[in-house]
Amino acid sequence: MNTRAVDVAAEVTATSRWSNAFFTRDVWAKIFAGLVILAAWQVGVAAFAPRFVAKPLGIIAVFPAVITDAAFLAAVADTLGAVLQGLSIAMVTGLVVGIAMGRVKVFDRLLNLYVNGLYAMPMVAVLPLLATWFGYESNARLATIIFAAFFSIVINARDGARSVPPEYLEVAKSYRAERRYVWFDITLHSSLPYLIAGIRLASGRAMVGAVIAEFYVSLNGVGLYILTHARSFKHNEAVVGVLALAAFGLFVEWAMNWVMRRFLPWARRS
Amino acid sequence: MNKLIQLINSDVRWVRRATLVASVLLGAAIWEYAGHNANPLYMAPLIGSAQSPGVALRLVSFVGDSHFRGAILSSLKLFATGFALALVVAVPFGIILARLAPLRVALESYILVLYVTPMVALIPFVLSILGFGFWPKVLVVFLFAFFPVLYNTLEGARSVKPELLEVAGSFRASEWSIWRDILIPYTLPYALTGIRQATGRALVGMIAAEFFLSTSGLGEVIMVASRTPDMANMLAAISVVTILGVILMRGAQALEQKYSAWRGVDE
Repeated sequence: MNTRAVDVAAEVTATSRWSNAFFTRDVWAKIFAGLVILAAWQVGVAAFAPRFVAKPLGIIAVFPAVITDAAFLAAVADTLGAVLQGLSIAMVTGLVVGIAMGRVKVFDRLLNLYVNGLYAMPMVAVLPLLATWFGYESNARLATIIFAAFFSIVINARDGARSVPPEYLEVAKSYRAERRYVWFDITLHSSLPYLIAGIRLASGRAMVGAVIAEFYVSLNGVGLYILTHARSFKHNEAVVGVLALAAFGLFVEWAMNWVMRRFLPWARRS
Repeated sequence: MNKLIQLINSDVRWVRRATLVASVLLGAAIWEYAGHNANPLYMAPLIGSAQSPGVALRLVSFVGDSHFRGAILSSLKLFATGFALALVVAVPFGIILARLAPLRVALESYILVLYVTPMVALIPFVLSILGFGFWPKVLVVFLFAFFPVLYNTLEGARSVKPELLEVAGSFRASEWSIWRDILIPYTLPYALTGIRQATGRALVGMIAAEFFLSTSGLGEVIMVASRTPDMANMLAAISVVTILGVILMRGAQALEQKYSAWRGVDE
């Protein structure tokens, strides 16, 4: 609880710095470093690795063809659609469970053991189980995504609901505020920064879950696209798939920073 | 009724204990009920009957099973090797970036990109370039653990105050004492946060590597049980993985907590 509070504070201050650093400061140093890395990759792979291994020039060469390829776009849409769907389900249910746990002690005591245990469990381990339960089809992927995302949202929502300053609740009580104001305007509102931290964590895990499920169940999506192309030694094309996943990860990072800056600037005091 | 609600939410010790016991019993009862009533291809009971022993009995029998002990040891060896390599490379690298600010500025965007890239996506490349064996799997665990540690150590590197380095420089402090008295104390709490994150990710990497590269260890036990299908074995193996995860996470959390007071002492 304590560490997480520190975590959130650190993360909140850190993110604003990250985004500044990423987009504006010292652009030339970054570009130069990027070129050095790419050159080292190109030369290193050309000199020491087998021919099929991806090289920057090869990736640039196939890039236009891949991102206009209907099969690739369909794969991206499949994976991201499933991730977004799973994340929304996990967010809504996780928020309800988490806030209930944070505010009502008996729920916390009943569920804490399971939530913490399942959170610590590596989600790949249940993949065969979920595939058996939900069939070797897209439901298994959705289940994996929800499973991967749900517990990090619950844990963060719980910590958020617990971190509500007691003075606020006291004031609300002494003015006899209605229950819905206590829940929505105080509890939900002050746990939002924690929820953002939870969503950020959950979206990373959800993406890992989606890709792993696609590997295991052989479902159409970016994961399978990468797997089939890597297997048939078309590594350049496969790397474009990895880039798509990285782009989605960066987008979530950027979107969460934006939400923090735009709507929750009060959470940044540390 | 209100009295009862107040009672079960109170902080009296016996109430807390009783709720915990109720939580365990309730979970076990639901599991047992589901195991008895669901298709045995989908679910196994916790305790079960004489004809079909449940998960708990399987767990007990695992203790005496040398094949299973071998599987656990092989998984732990994979985890420890990959994790240790990631630490040995990522922590010093992060501290070097704290020392050399221009290098940090140049590289941090790329480190962020790699940190948010799901490393599972690289498993097919590892498979097709390096093939089967122990070391490709170590590489997978390494990749999963490396970037969280580096990213967070770098975060610590940003927290090092430039004034401190300047003062140290003007008093001609030796390189070793700059590391010992400034860089390491400042970056350690952040590195430990990274280590906690990396523990969870490296476990995912361990099982993923055991599934998708050459199967071995606990991943193999789960895989074989899911093909058989032997639900009791599968759930027992998953429970072992979960217990392992809880122990490792708790350890990492305790370590992090211990040094978290060092974070931003004089901010």
